[in-house]
Amino acid sequence: MRRSSLLFLTLLVLWALIAQANHELAPLRFSLFAGGLFVVFAALRMDRGEGLTAVFAAGLLHDAVSPVPFGTHALLFTAAHAFVYHVRHRVHREETLVGVLAALLSNLGIFLVLSFLVGRDLPGGVDPWPRLIADLLASQLALAIITPWFLVLQRRVLGWAGQPPFRTEHRA
Amino acid sequence: MPHRRLHPGRPFLVLGLVLGAWLVVPTIVKRFLRISFFELQAPVSLSASYVRDLQDYWSLRTRSTNELIAAGRDLVRLNASYEATLQQSENLRQQVTRLEALLRLPAVGGYRSEVARVARRDFNGWWQRLTVRKGRNYGITVGSPVIFSGGIVGKVAEVNATLSVIDLISSPGVRIAATLDGDTRPLSYQGGENPAFGPAVGIAEYVPTDASASPTSPKRLVTSGLGGVFPPGLTIGEIVRLETSTDGLFKTGEVRLDPRLTELNEVTILVPLSPN
Repeated sequence: MRRSSLLFLTLLVLWALIAQANHELAPLRFSLFAGGLFVVFAALRMDRGEGLTAVFAAGLLHDAVSPVPFGTHALLFTAAHAFVYHVRHRVHREETLVGVLAALLSNLGIFLVLSFLVGRDLPGGVDPWPRLIADLLASQLALAIITPWFLVLQRRVLGWAGQPPFRTEHRA
Repeated sequence: MPHRRLHPGRPFLVLGLVLGAWLVVPTIVKRFLRISFFELQAPVSLSASYVRDLQDYWSLRTRSTNELIAAGRDLVRLNASYEATLQQSENLRQQVTRLEALLRLPAVGGYRSEVARVARRDFNGWWQRLTVRKGRNYGITVGSPVIFSGGIVGKVAEVNATLSVIDLISSPGVRIAATLDGDTRPLSYQGGENPAFGPAVGIAEYVPTDASASPTSPKRLVTSGLGGVFPPGLTIGEIVRLETSTDGLFKTGEVRLDPRLTELNEVTILVPLSPN
């Protein structure tokens, strides 16, 4: 529970940073989405229950400030967590590059599913895809840059609190 | 201790259980969670906004005295023109009251202006929203129109304890009853596409076929007052292109919105004086 709370705290910091970045980027007419980064550490390096709790809470945080049915982000994050958790024993999950790739793929998946879900409610004659693709490209680029830093931050925060993430051997 | 290998389908079983459990959670619990999580992040948004204000303050402190004198002079001129407009408005208001009494008309519902600082901008391809630093603590109500010096900003979508969320007119889900400036025939406006690095555009529908507009001679689109949400005559944008719709009965057009909408730091919320 303590590890979940600490992990959620780091996710709250990430949420605040992304929100501030989007606030400043608004006049340029593009935004960042970092859903994948909320999932990756918990799915790769944490115990399933603890990681899932933090990821689900982070999803609810996104839902609380978004005009989507409550639970949409939470369930998408949970699904991404399940996929990454499913393959984590087959990869060198302590490696940064693996973390970056997992974050990018999770982000892509969450972004596309969310786009289709929200896109259903858009009025006819509105084509959001050029903007969404631009946002997605910018987000993936930003994610590739900040993921290594954020993974280290999460590991350090858990380490400083005397609650290091679980380490298990990857499957041969 | 030997590592215990999980069944490959276990994470998806958990996902199914979470999904199933979420579906049966009562709506009241979801609503409570939504409010709780919103209020959890509220101090973060508020403090970030106050820190930005402090940054602005310190950057203004670096300005020279001459610049401040010039700004003060401009402000005095602006205040003088506003005072003249205020007197004019007061005369008009008295005239309206007199005519209402003479003709026994029902009184027009008024608004209370509430100026609010923008705490967070959330503009993406899915929605366009602003969060402002006033909520239930200032009596803000859901559905209140929001304006700025360039016209309409949007309407209040959510009100929380200390923050309110505004749906911008560029948001694809927003619809407003509108009319062309100088015309009385109603038409419909809805938020449209928000291209990256370009100004947002809206869509005007049910435009009369005799209307015309082009980028060189745009037509101003204003609120019609129908529907009771927005007062009439407020600027929405400019129609820059009109095409006959497929049924041939009306025209459909592209509305250019004020580019300042993306840079707003302060807005005015018009809170209706009577709840209805």
